[in-house]
Amino acid sequence: MNDKKAHRDQLYIVGLLNNDSIIIKEIYEKFVPKVVHYVSRNSGNEHDANDIVQEVLITIYHQAQKNNFKLTCPFDAYFFLLCKRMWFNVLKKTSKKEVTINEEILSINDDASLVAFETIEFDKRQQLFEEMFQKLGNACKELLKASFTIKSLQEVADKLGVSYGYVRKKKSLCVGKLTKLVQGSPVFKKFKN
Amino acid sequence: MMKKEEFTFFEAYLSEELSEVERLSFENRLKQEDELSEAFNNYKELYSFLEHKFTTEKATEAFTKNLSEISDGYFTSKKKTKVIKFRPWQYAAAASVVLFLGITMFNNFGTNPVYSDFAVHETLSLTERGNQNQLYLNAEQAFNSSDYEQAEQLFSEILVTNSNIVEVELYKAISLIEINQFTSADKILLGISNQNSAYKNSAKWYLALSKLKQKQYDDCELLLKEIPVGTDAYELAQELLSAL
Repeated sequence: MNDKKAHRDQLYIVGLLNNDSIIIKEIYEKFVPKVVHYVSRNSGNEHDANDIVQEVLITIYHQAQKNNFKLTCPFDAYFFLLCKRMWFNVLKKTSKKEVTINEEILSINDDASLVAFETIEFDKRQQLFEEMFQKLGNACKELLKASFTIKSLQEVADKLGVSYGYVRKKKSLCVGKLTKLVQGSPVFKKFKN
Repeated sequence: MMKKEEFTFFEAYLSEELSEVERLSFENRLKQEDELSEAFNNYKELYSFLEHKFTTEKATEAFTKNLSEISDGYFTSKKKTKVIKFRPWQYAAAASVVLFLGITMFNNFGTNPVYSDFAVHETLSLTERGNQNQLYLNAEQAFNSSDYEQAEQLFSEILVTNSNIVEVELYKAISLIEINQFTSADKILLGISNQNSAYKNSAKWYLALSKLKQKQYDDCELLLKEIPVGTDAYELAQELLSAL
């Protein structure tokens, strides 16, 4: 994260983080019409825009929960870039026709692009991690869920009817397995380049 | 590739369960072995991912639910107040018009509803089905940018060669309503609503809207009542009925 001061629009980030309905409604009133307009002009409709907006707000919510996320640009620009990017991805996936939306997101070197870029990278990693987590066996998934929700490993052991030592070892092996899955994925290798 | 034991070691290190000697030797190895240090960093990142995933699961669920409710609320209420789309030069006036609409809708309970409050046209995408014909594209663009006069002409052109595309007929009729050519619009809509097609009830809905715009409230009401439950147009019809 950079050392710049947070923009006053940080209030939207905080509002999302606190699940503050008034702020979320304000986001819809102020910033969503632009997205609807954009999506409608680019092979989509209001329904598509609705999906995109929700997905982007969930991404921002996750990003906000992590690492004291600081917004250093106006929310409007940041949010709009993310929505555009998300819509671009949808079009790429679902449409066989050529996608002609400019990918200016990576070429404009301003604060908004930088912050949006950070969120996009964050989101890509989260999605990959989640996808790989789903590939784990049920035993691992359950054990990980239990050991991260219930803080005491002893309790987890009691709940699963196994020994403390087993849970401890198994937990590290399951996180290890996930680490290997992620490291082995082509998408992850691309991140590093 | 990392050995399984290394992961047990990572865990023990992170939960500070190693002895001083073990800890120092591990830290030393991290400095020297790239593969180990990379795996350890990834392990830490995934550890924190899992921690975050499971500790915030409930909050995330609550957020998603709230968001979806607000979103539904926003898009439904938008439908009620949405007027036809504006051309760029009209943007300046847009804000005041919306405000005005909001106020009139608030103050005018008991008076008759107006066409523009209910005329919400789905974005047309004729070309979505792989039809890249320029004429279709132009028609679609004209309609979606609310240039109804132009759209009506282009739809008519399409219908010259393909007279049986019901969707195009429907959109031609909508464009006609927009430019106040009610007789032609009503004739087309009546035709579609008497045939069996996917657009039957949409046609009825638009016919009702046409009557609304012509201030023929009784006809409008009768038509609305014909729209059956379970169709897309039903909810809209009920809304308009309750406003009449």
